[in-house]
Amino acid sequence: MKTMEQIPKVLIIDDEEVVLDSCTQILAAGNYNVTTAPNGETGLDLAEKFSPDIAFIDLKMPGISGTEVLERINELDPTIVTVVITGYATINSAVEAMKLGAYDFLPKPFTPDEFRLITRRGLERRKLMLETIALRKEKEMLRDNFAAIVAHELKAPVNAIKQNLYVLDMELAGTLNESQKNRLDRMMARTDDLLKLIHSWLRVLSVDIDKVRETFKSLAVPDLIATATELVEPHAVRKDIEVVTSFQEPLSQIEGDEMSLIEALVNIIDNAIKYSYPSSKVTIHTKETGEGIEISVSDTGVGISKEELPRVLGGFYWSESTQADEPSHGLGLTISQRIIEAHDGKIAVDSEPGKGTTFVISLPALKRLE
Amino acid sequence: MTQQKRLLIIDDDPDFVEGIKAILDAAQYNVDVAYNPKSGLQALQTGNYDLLLLDIMMGRGAEGVMIARKMRKDPKLREMPVLIITGIREQIAFLFPGGPMHPRFVEVDELVEKPVEPRLLLEKVSTLLATVEAKKAK
Repeated sequence: MKTMEQIPKVLIIDDEEVVLDSCTQILAAGNYNVTTAPNGETGLDLAEKFSPDIAFIDLKMPGISGTEVLERINELDPTIVTVVITGYATINSAVEAMKLGAYDFLPKPFTPDEFRLITRRGLERRKLMLETIALRKEKEMLRDNFAAIVAHELKAPVNAIKQNLYVLDMELAGTLNESQKNRLDRMMARTDDLLKLIHSWLRVLSVDIDKVRETFKSLAVPDLIATATELVEPHAVRKDIEVVTSFQEPLSQIEGDEMSLIEALVNIIDNAIKYSYPSSKVTIHTKETGEGIEISVSDTGVGISKEELPRVLGGFYWSESTQADEPSHGLGLTISQRIIEAHDGKIAVDSEPGKGTTFVISLPALKRLE
Repeated sequence: MTQQKRLLIIDDDPDFVEGIKAILDAAQYNVDVAYNPKSGLQALQTGNYDLLLLDIMMGRGAEGVMIARKMRKDPKLREMPVLIITGIREQIAFLFPGGPMHPRFVEVDELVEKPVEPRLLLEKVSTLLATVEAKKAK
């Protein structure tokens, strides 16, 4: 980050030696670091190497014109304050120069006071510009990290509560009656739900599509599904739901990020289990179409009504018809959708109330090696 | 005869600390606590601890990482096992909860997530202590 805590740097570009000398003299009394250039070429070179806070540019110079020097310095670093030096006859070109981004102009001849004043004002302007940039950067950084900061602040108290509930559970083991024990278990389960919710929020806000792309590699869909099914198994077993997988052979590979694709699949399969009736089946079938790879995840559960259907993939959704009192937050589907879209894929949903729901994930296939 | 092991917790959340100290106390460990990175480092240098339980997100950022870095540079502290207890959930932990994670801040370390189940906490602590014992015996 640029700051002006050091001595301000002044660059003067003029072909008249007397102007360079007198300007250097005028500023010698103040706390400035002054460098001069006798022509535009040297001036541009110094603008880059010396990185001045303010640059005075004579408009009428042999070689590269003052206007071009001005333009090139502005391109190099728009925060360098530029002031054009001009004779009376070239006031018009001074106006032109200001249109090109000069901050001010200094008509020749000028008094030492005029020159000092314009230098001070220019440097003040430079300081404000740097401060504005610094503030804007800070604001952007805050916005980027906002999710992480909020999530940490939210999690800390919940973590402390949960940790102490663990201790209570341990210390009171054997002394609580059935309903007290139940109450303690519910407290632990509810704090868990809250933690999961915070994590999901954080994921929704932080799925960085460009980052996901960085780790793309060739993947076999059946492997991804196998891992995802393994991860949801505890949930499936609890509800006595059988997860049946099948796939067409041979099947092209896809290109993607393994971790996030598994996460997307886990969310969708978990969702199917959640909305299933106990002791039923969730079916996952993978096939290849002309368009790519299609993974369908079907349950025979409660289903989604026609009115609710369009909203399922639109944002934060959860159904009113959730089975039992399972924790449900519709963030999982949103995360999945963002992950699949980052892979140039699509998710579609079809459902019939009372019959069940099918999610279809389509992903582009890699060309198969013959 | 086994000597009582001395543990140090560095964590800026007193309520959370209470929740892990009670578990370690009950398991007959001798537990000290530092509630900020500065006094934590002091305690590490003066006390003779067998294991450190370290929080990562303290104060205005990941000040726990700073402590781990300083430990790595210190020839004596470098040998101390560290159990990192953190609220930051990395993607890997999101997908494979309970999977082993070795942050490799120091020679012997491991990471658990907040909140941590009593059984898991005690298991990690005793494993780390045993690893160091085995190294010393060599």
